[in-house]
Amino acid sequence: MDLIPQLIVDALLLGGIYTLMVIGLALSFGVTRVINFAHGEAVMLGAYGAFTVFVAFGVDPLIAMPVLMVAGCVLGMVLFKVAIAPVLKAPHVNQILLTFGIGLVLQNLALVIWSPDGRSVVPSYAYSSFEFGDVVVSGGRLIGFGIAAVLVLALFFWLKRTEFGRATRALAEQHDAAVLMGINVNQMYALAFGLSVALGVATGVILSFLGAITPFMGFHILVKGFAIIVLGGLGSIVGAVLGAFLLAFAETAVSYYVPNGTGWAEAVAFLTLFLVLVLRPRGIIGQAVAD
Amino acid sequence: MLRSPYFMVGLGLLSALALVASTFWNAPQLNDWLFRISTLIILATSWNLMANAGLVSLGHSAFWGVGSYTAVLAANAFGGSVLLTFTLALVVGGVMGALLALVTGSLKGIFFAIVTLALSEGLRICALMVPEVTGGAVGLFLKQELRPSQHTLYLFGALAAVGSVVVAAVIAGSKLQFASRAMRDNEAAAQMLGIAPRRQRLIVVAISGAMASAAGAINAWYGGYLDPEVAFTLHNTILSQIAPILGGIHTIAGPVVGAVAIIALSEGTRIWLGTMEGVSQLTFGLILVVCILFLPKGLVGLVQGGPNRRKPTPAPRLPLASTQGAKP
Repeated sequence: MDLIPQLIVDALLLGGIYTLMVIGLALSFGVTRVINFAHGEAVMLGAYGAFTVFVAFGVDPLIAMPVLMVAGCVLGMVLFKVAIAPVLKAPHVNQILLTFGIGLVLQNLALVIWSPDGRSVVPSYAYSSFEFGDVVVSGGRLIGFGIAAVLVLALFFWLKRTEFGRATRALAEQHDAAVLMGINVNQMYALAFGLSVALGVATGVILSFLGAITPFMGFHILVKGFAIIVLGGLGSIVGAVLGAFLLAFAETAVSYYVPNGTGWAEAVAFLTLFLVLVLRPRGIIGQAVAD
Repeated sequence: MLRSPYFMVGLGLLSALALVASTFWNAPQLNDWLFRISTLIILATSWNLMANAGLVSLGHSAFWGVGSYTAVLAANAFGGSVLLTFTLALVVGGVMGALLALVTGSLKGIFFAIVTLALSEGLRICALMVPEVTGGAVGLFLKQELRPSQHTLYLFGALAAVGSVVVAAVIAGSKLQFASRAMRDNEAAAQMLGIAPRRQRLIVVAISGAMASAAGAINAWYGGYLDPEVAFTLHNTILSQIAPILGGIHTIAGPVVGAVAIIALSEGTRIWLGTMEGVSQLTFGLILVVCILFLPKGLVGLVQGGPNRRKPTPAPRLPLASTQGAKP
């Protein structure tokens, strides 16, 4: 049987979800220059949010998503003002360890609240699938891809066409010049951080009906997110999209063609990260790494 | 006097010696705590060495895990003793550190951190995927007949902890310390002063890697069992950074004080709050956040006195000197 069409479809669907997963990370780094080691926890909390709403009120994750995203955005902004803002000018060590610590707190809060058991949300479409000729498409993944595409396009539109979006890009491009133009830096930083958390939450909602939800799922997502961002080039949102699809293709190909491939596919992200940082640290598109 | 570096060195060494002496006091529970303090001192001192040179490691469990596997595999394969496998783990960890330093070249800050994070996760997956060597998810037992008495291990751990503090103290008095500090502030400027950052980094990461790997080796003898989750657990990465942060980063006594405080704390939460999963890690996370926000010099900073606050924010840099030139 010819696997190529199936591989392409699977990789594309996965790539769409990966894009949504990293775009928040790329956004908050691009603007605030603080890399958020707790981004995976935003995804994890989004997934648990969807789970809780589904179990308690029987509300479909897709309907709950906008509300969860707004909640995530607000919480993200508060977190930024309380914890991240004080270390904006501190050494990298402090920033890295602070966000890492926040992630640790959130992980274990989730562990205490929801227990370590894997949870899942099963709306009717989660396990549906349909066939086009030889190719089987999972309904849940297709819906996830669709939402991811809409959100990513909305983010691009926001960045290009709105006043806040332009201010965000200005800050990412030339911080000091943006300040001189009268952009309210603290406000914009908080907004960008809040939006990035909201995008993470949306990723979590999608993942909630695609697989198991556990308190520690965020860590793997984070490392994958880093691999993608480094691959695309740190600080470049277009690069992040490219990186997401490249990693998705590489992982899918490995799990199809390498014996024992599903296990090894997990290692593709780490290998990619290593190779890119060694061979071409600036990624496909992106800034130089040397500080 | 409290601020004198000699006082801090002396304090660190004295507490480490107390650690060795107390292993002769025969109380299993106490000895277990002391053993964990000893390995944590080594791990934390090792992390602190890298941090001194501005290298944030988020993957100390990589060295720990490699050291653990080195010890168990070597012992099982040719019946190596504790001392032999310890030495072997030192060498393997050192080589691994040197390779890491070579591979990461001049990567700094977040990039170095991300590489170390990926290294430990990547190694965990590799260990999982080659069950012929590592036993895979089923795990690997150290041959029971090879294992020495627990007391020998307590003593060995305590001596190794003292050794690591001595190494840190020697480094603190050497040129390497000043080179590290210069690199931490500004690698390019350090280079202008005639310091070869890459060579310094190689030395620092190799020493640090050797230490963490050796700690893993001793712990493998103590535990007697390994699987990829145990060997490369994120827990060790977290402990390795939280102990120096709590005790006082960039000091010699800091990792020692931090290690004692962390073990006391984790045992305390275990005794008072029961073994509810996540509670001790939750506490660690909170400590990390609170320390960085409010106590950047750690417990040692409290004792030393003086300003234990973040320096006032420097005046904004001129646009021309800005390094923030990323294009979205």
